Amino acid sequence: MTIPDDNSHAALLAQSVGDFVKRGADLPRVRALAQTHAEFDRAQWRQLAELGWLGVLAPESCGGLGLGLAEAAIVAEGLGRALTPEPYTAVAVLAARALEHAADTPLRGELLSGLVNGERVPVVACHEQADDVNAVRIATTATPFEGGFRVSGQKQFVIGAAGADGYIVSAESAGELQLLWMPRDAAGCDTGLIPLADGRSYGTVTLQDVAVPREHVLASGAAARGALGRALDHAAAIASAELVGVMKCAHEMSLDYMKTRVQFGKAIGSFQALQHRAVDLYIQQELADAVLREVVALLDAAPDDNTRALHASRAKSRCAEAALAITRAAIQFHGAIGFTEDCDVGLYVKRAMTLSAWLGNGRAHRLRYARLAAQGRAAA
Amino acid sequence: MKDWNAIDDEAFRAEARGFFETEFPAEFKFLPRRMRWHECRDWYLKLSKKGWLAPNWPREHGGMGLSPTKLLIYFEETERAGVGRMPDQGITMVGPTLIRFGNDAQRAFFLPKILAGDAIWCQGYSEPNAGSDLASLRTEAVLDGDDYVINGSKIWTSMAHDATHIYVLARTDRQAKKKQEGISFLLVDMKTPGITLRTIRNIAGHEEFCQVFFDNVRTPKKNLVGELHKGWTIAKGLLGFERLNIGSPRRPLQALEKLEALAGARGLLNDAAFSERLTQLKLDLADLGSLYGRYVERARRGEALGQDVSMLKVWSMETYQRLSELLIEAAGDYAAIEGEVAMNGASIDVLSPFYNSRPGTIYGGSNEIQRNILAKYVLNLPS
Repeated sequence: MTIPDDNSHAALLAQSVGDFVKRGADLPRVRALAQTHAEFDRAQWRQLAELGWLGVLAPESCGGLGLGLAEAAIVAEGLGRALTPEPYTAVAVLAARALEHAADTPLRGELLSGLVNGERVPVVACHEQADDVNAVRIATTATPFEGGFRVSGQKQFVIGAAGADGYIVSAESAGELQLLWMPRDAAGCDTGLIPLADGRSYGTVTLQDVAVPREHVLASGAAARGALGRALDHAAAIASAELVGVMKCAHEMSLDYMKTRVQFGKAIGSFQALQHRAVDLYIQQELADAVLREVVALLDAAPDDNTRALHASRAKSRCAEAALAITRAAIQFHGAIGFTEDCDVGLYVKRAMTLSAWLGNGRAHRLRYARLAAQGRAAA
Repeated sequence: MKDWNAIDDEAFRAEARGFFETEFPAEFKFLPRRMRWHECRDWYLKLSKKGWLAPNWPREHGGMGLSPTKLLIYFEETERAGVGRMPDQGITMVGPTLIRFGNDAQRAFFLPKILAGDAIWCQGYSEPNAGSDLASLRTEAVLDGDDYVINGSKIWTSMAHDATHIYVLARTDRQAKKKQEGISFLLVDMKTPGITLRTIRNIAGHEEFCQVFFDNVRTPKKNLVGELHKGWTIAKGLLGFERLNIGSPRRPLQALEKLEALAGARGLLNDAAFSERLTQLKLDLADLGSLYGRYVERARRGEALGQDVSMLKVWSMETYQRLSELLIEAAGDYAAIEGEVAMNGASIDVLSPFYNSRPGTIYGGSNEIQRNILAKYVLNLPS
């Protein structure tokens, strides 16, 4: 694929995402997967790989497109719109970014290439406590052992675990952070799945004395901290893009409904009380969209760690709150039908809830923003 | 004209900070009201001499042509330094309107006058019976020889007592089928015989707006902007620039400066409940900056600002009001005091942002009208 410049790359992606994501067309599949909490459809995943979307960020040396978050955001917004349950952000952003900055080993190349072509599904298992946006409060230990480590601990909130074939696990060894590769079927590694509101799952990964050979060490110390911090902020930004897709689609559904539902002899969308409410939510949507575009551009320019975190938090905070407000209101705009299981509105409400909660909710990111802004002020 | 966009952001910020801090007259810093012309004339000319008077105009017309990022830095630094608000209608509205809708002769005559401080403008839009329903205006202009003769009255005309010129929406065709048709956009010299003024004192006790009366006021035909009877299009275009201007983060930034100073003086930053509310407002303002940047970029490319620009005005002015309200709450017992309040070494006018942010949701089309516009033209909801 020869593409002359980044702009047309973005345009081409937007076009292919638009073609792929016909609003509502995928919802029967989404509902069926939600029933079983399977969340992962191999055929669908292969298709995402064939479209090149899994490799948007991955380096060209691994078969990826080597593009930026601006392009990944286009894909994620489309998948959010379609409520695609497959873990695009968890794999193609969070795991891909963590691997990209890992040490250049055969394993890294194998995992990244496999991630891009859809054959490998690595996900990051780094959180142990809620509201720990930077994933620094960890008790998982890596004890040196025959050149490798023995790892014990428990990871939570792992999106994508249902279909993952292994984990990028964070662990501490004598105060130093390690990022380690752990196949799902490694002895002592147990994956429990906790059903989420939207039919996906959080993985709880319990590690009991899991032996990790030296070749499975992805990064150590400052390099591990740097790779993980960057990956988490980039993933928060792209989860925000998914949220933008969810909110836009949900609000369109509300507006369409307001134009057709007749009460008191008039379309309910003609009532000023509802119009003003719809406008206020639209303003939230556009703020979210504007923040997202600005933030992905800023993050693509590789700012320092604090600036990166500050902006990622701006995006996640606004997009999470806006998506929740818009989808909640969608129930109200639809009236009683909006509260039924058959109505698609509920699917959007629930996806907004799970995407908002994952990687730090609006409040967690507001608090981090406050902390970082205060540091910035003290430094200025 | 120097290309300020060519230098890097931090260098530009340093230049702006140094300039505003040292050059803006100390006695007017953080003035709780708009500056009168006799107070700001020197500053206006100083800005003009530096080429910094019109950050939003294209460079070929004597402006700075700033990119969205640079424009935000410019505003952040003016507010940080407490630079006062001048009678700025010529810069924020007339200039962009003439650049877009005027003819060469009008641009050649008026733009340099604005930059030189020889033409200070006010807006003749609202009338006693035409506020939110602006198109029902009744001030009339009738062609007589080479002049239009204007009769009627305009109200809520900010800084008219300092203005040398007024732009007027007047009815030129009473027979038009729709009230929006048959309106024309005219430029008028305030020295023309037949114009009289009455100042109106606002809720904060300041005389910032006026009523302007027109009694057989003659303005030459060449001062018609755009086509005869087609002034509504220009009026709406200007309202777009007005909404962009009101929608800038500039005024809420003023309130935030005060709020942070007060929070520091009163030791509120360690109060978790206060801190969370402050952070939410800071994010509201930062995110306004992102949205604002989108429209600045459109304006810079010379594109028409769509009806969606109304949301900037809604968000900016309501964020401003929320900031002013938190400022009052954070001031506690002090918030009953009119004017500057001394507390723990800081001196802060707690109530002025409250007063100054009130008209923001009324003028330029009330926020309720903005929401109607957004519902109708952007969301396409039925009426």
